[in-house]
Amino acid sequence: MDRLFLPTEGVDASLRGFARAHAGLVELHEDPTYLLARERHPDRRVGIVSGGGSGHEPMHAGFLGRGLLDAAVPGRVFASPHNRQVYEAGKAVAGPDGVLLVVKNYTGDRINFGIAAERLRADGVEVRRVLVDDDVATESEETGTGRRGTGATPVVEKLLGAAADSGLGLDELAHLGERVVAASRSLAVASRAQTRPADGGPAFELPDGELEYGVGIHGERAQRTVSYEGLEHLVPRMVSDVLDSLERAEATGDDVLLLTNGMGATTLLELYTVHDAAAGALEERGLRVAAQAVGTLVPGLDMAGFSLTVTRLRDDWLDLWRAPAVTPAFPAPTDIPAGTPTGSPAPVEATR
Amino acid sequence: MSAPALDQHAILQAYADAAVAARDELTRLDQLAGDGDFGDNLREGLAAVRAGIEAAPGEPAFRTGAQVFLDEVGGTSGPLLGLLLQSVAQALGTAGAAGDERHAFADGVREGLAAIQRVGEAEVGDRTLVDALSPAADALAEGAGYADVARRARQGALDTADLRARQGRASYLGDRAKGAPDAGALGVALLFWAVARVAEPDADLGDPVAFVSP
Repeated sequence: MDRLFLPTEGVDASLRGFARAHAGLVELHEDPTYLLARERHPDRRVGIVSGGGSGHEPMHAGFLGRGLLDAAVPGRVFASPHNRQVYEAGKAVAGPDGVLLVVKNYTGDRINFGIAAERLRADGVEVRRVLVDDDVATESEETGTGRRGTGATPVVEKLLGAAADSGLGLDELAHLGERVVAASRSLAVASRAQTRPADGGPAFELPDGELEYGVGIHGERAQRTVSYEGLEHLVPRMVSDVLDSLERAEATGDDVLLLTNGMGATTLLELYTVHDAAAGALEERGLRVAAQAVGTLVPGLDMAGFSLTVTRLRDDWLDLWRAPAVTPAFPAPTDIPAGTPTGSPAPVEATR
Repeated sequence: MSAPALDQHAILQAYADAAVAARDELTRLDQLAGDGDFGDNLREGLAAVRAGIEAAPGEPAFRTGAQVFLDEVGGTSGPLLGLLLQSVAQALGTAGAAGDERHAFADGVREGLAAIQRVGEAEVGDRTLVDALSPAADALAEGAGYADVARRARQGALDTADLRARQGRASYLGDRAKGAPDAGALGVALLFWAVARVAEPDADLGDPVAFVSP
């Protein structure tokens, strides 16, 4: 049976189920639809709002909570939320220094979050935007729309959340976000398209033995397909393309964060195999994998495939990554061997 | 001599009537370059504005209109029109009864244009509603009468026929969208038609259909 267990009318039931399952951490607001974290650090001066189309769970609502996002605004599957949802969510979580919007680089999201920002400003709320545009596959397009926002989004959100808890102001946070984005790149491959919710068919056809190299998180076709000749060829090539793009952006630093992300239908058994190959490829290039996460954080419904995200770490970013966060789904870092000194203490108070 | 009063309620009524009359022509133009829904979005949006104004007669009509366009109208052009009305409502509200209404209106249009450009990341010449709004804002800044402002907005909208879209759905068509003016730009020009109709009823701007026809 090729179909998704989703009602045709949208994502409301899923959001209600999510809110039930994590009732201690999040609350669901309806009409307009948005979700809020129940707790926030007392030193946080800026409310952080993210959002976008559904179908990428656990992003974004799964990252709500102390140490991470204050509000998440879901649209329908692969569709931008309405500006009113973003506006109301922003009003609900605005801090004394205003609201930071984390937006992935898609035209609809840019416009709807942009309209919400103007409405918040008209109400006297300070607003800044961090635009995530990390997808190497869309770097050379001539349309002027730029790179898509994909796998780096959770990394950007985590570092911003920890920094916000240290009491950073709006402009400082926006500046940090822009620097993290500039130091982050991703690339995704798919061996099978996601299921179309409308009729259960595959969103695109891919011949046996072929991979879509540079696929988008909504199943946007890549510029090319490649034949699959094993991870030992595929993963170093992806790592190389990601690092080349970082080099063009003049992002430096020998410590990197590596996120090995599943596209929806790829098993952890596979993802850890990919992760081992990716970490090895980075080490061969003389880099140290100082932080890492493995899991399905930014899928495209049930696409089979994975993405690699590399962030070149600077300043206190490693501490921000390791700072505690209590959310439904963000993976806590567990790559620090017991007894290892971890540098300066995280800039937030101990978890409670 | 003071400027004629901007009766917000009458302006939005005139705009709503004009959108009904111009619906077919706006739809025809939008079908040539976009997805053809602009005429319906504008007409239905303004019908909702009319209902909103009747439901809240004590509120400034532009403020109600802004809220309806921002909250309830689909597509991109509707909420952007909402931003324009929001800025104008805010500027007129700040000016108060004693303020210079014409200057406040000019400021509001200028601020609305800036907000729309920030959101849409569109410049003059990108074949968007900015191409009607920007000459209208310039004309207001130069102290032109409302009828002349409407003429300048119309001319800016008609001139989009020679432009290639960089933003919006028409951008996917490249040069194929050339030759017909942008429906959204004409829809914004029609707001200034309504302003002139109310504020300078003796001016000859033609009927709404002629006004949006190339």
